[in-house]
Amino acid sequence: MSEIDRLGRTRPRNRLLRWTAAALAVLSVYAWISGEIQVGALFESRRKENLLRFLRQEVVPPQVREEGIASLGRWAVPILSERGWTGAGRTLAISTLAIVLAGLAAILLSMSGARTLMAPEAFLPHARRPGPMRRFAWGAVVFATRGVQLFLRSIPEYVWAYLFLAMLGPSAWPAVLALAIHNAGILGKLTSETVENLEPGPLRALRELGARRLTIAGAAVFPVALPRFLLYFFYRFETCVREATVLGMLGIVSLGYWIADARARRFYDEMLLLVLLGAGIVLLGDLVSALARRFVRRA
Amino acid sequence: MTEIRRPFPIGRRGMVLLLLLLAGAASGVALELSPRQLAPHAGGLEIARRFFEAALSPALSYESTPPSGSTPLPMKALDAARRTVVFAAAGMSLAVVLGILLAFPASSAWWEGDLGRRWRVAPLLWGGTRTLIALMRSVHELLWAVLFLAALGLNTFAAVIALAIPYAGTLAKVFSEMIDEAARDSAHALRATGASPAQVFFFGLLPRALPDMAAYAFYRFECAVRSSAILGFFGYETLGFFLRQSFENLHYREVWTYLYTLFALVAILDVWSGRLRGRFAP
Repeated sequence: MSEIDRLGRTRPRNRLLRWTAAALAVLSVYAWISGEIQVGALFESRRKENLLRFLRQEVVPPQVREEGIASLGRWAVPILSERGWTGAGRTLAISTLAIVLAGLAAILLSMSGARTLMAPEAFLPHARRPGPMRRFAWGAVVFATRGVQLFLRSIPEYVWAYLFLAMLGPSAWPAVLALAIHNAGILGKLTSETVENLEPGPLRALRELGARRLTIAGAAVFPVALPRFLLYFFYRFETCVREATVLGMLGIVSLGYWIADARARRFYDEMLLLVLLGAGIVLLGDLVSALARRFVRRA
Repeated sequence: MTEIRRPFPIGRRGMVLLLLLLAGAASGVALELSPRQLAPHAGGLEIARRFFEAALSPALSYESTPPSGSTPLPMKALDAARRTVVFAAAGMSLAVVLGILLAFPASSAWWEGDLGRRWRVAPLLWGGTRTLIALMRSVHELLWAVLFLAALGLNTFAAVIALAIPYAGTLAKVFSEMIDEAARDSAHALRATGASPAQVFFFGLLPRALPDMAAYAFYRFECAVRSSAILGFFGYETLGFFLRQSFENLHYREVWTYLYTLFALVAILDVWSGRLRGRFAP
């Protein structure tokens, strides 16, 4: 038996990985043959007519059809100035305010959700073993915080938005609150883990010098964890911009509202223009986030 | 004695924080928000109370009398969950194939730097693919779905494609970055024996990045399940469809039945992918 065969036979194998791969393969095949996905129906003649009509007539503005491509600007400018720019601006404002609120909430949730900081004798490795009551109390703080984080992020932002729309009536608050709450849950989880994974040495040194828990959190944990916090913050900001556009379709005046409105009026040319504008602000958000992350990394 | 002091009253990080707070405040002003609008109207608190009370007792049967012969609520929720997974799996199976295909031209490892071989088209191809990926990602899956609804009408295959396009873009972006960051030793060895760039890519680079890629793809599957549930808001009969229906009929206990079904689905996948990643970690 050659060496290469022997190596091949003794290589580490992972049963969970194999079962997962098999399960996913079966699931994918089942998905396509279950009959839920009407592959054939997409290619029926009526669909083809729909598509051709959509591409040839509906997405081409009437002026362009009559006067040629030069009149595209004259058609687009009033739409953009009446609805597009304000819609895009509001979408960006909703996502910015939402992620700032979520970030502020996450700073609190990250501290009270970190097992290391919320230990009865935090960062004192040689302390006397605390009594059962104190251990239970501090454990309960962490457990409750993690529970709150899980609750906040498990409910989709759309359901939060529905609820706040029903509660508060129309303003931008339902979208802001829905995004802020959902993302506070996600950021809280990520940042708690960051705090738990911090290098304990400096924190222990501070503690042995007599610093209180709040001092450690404010003077050491927060500044050291901040770059990581900001990376997560900007990463979630990108998602917020995407979701803020879509949330508008529930009736909150962001770009999505005008997209849904154009769709309802069957002005598909206008709808496409606004969708492209939405893609533009998503790319803008990604760019801002990438630049900000690079800035933070260098700091 | 030299004094150690900062050049400016606050450091770079402090400035970032201050700027963010200002941006948040400016956004609030631009949206014409006032805290007074946060006070719920008369019925608002009642709605919230009823909604969260219903969380404690999710419905096991319909809250209104259903037409005779309709399936019991738990069965309906399970069937919606099955359909949610089916949409996600179909979308992901397209997205993974497309993502891997796009990751090849979107990665720079096989033509740039130490593995490089002069091929002038490569940077153009790279730039073109990167732009395509950015465009695919920049339109949310729900907006793709709305576009397809307008172009093709309500069709489940169109919904699957709507899901697959942005997911393929994200997968291609992350895959290509994982490939670019993968260990290069086997690729160098292949390159030294005279393998072509495509061979170096598929037999030298790709296998080294594959574990990370698999773990990430599984995590995206979890996201796809959420997205597929939300697609229901637009008329496809996944969990979101029934969720919206029950919400609009003010049947909050039914809403929670569907929400808990969604939580269970996501929790299973979350635990599963966590264990998978645990196995991969060295």
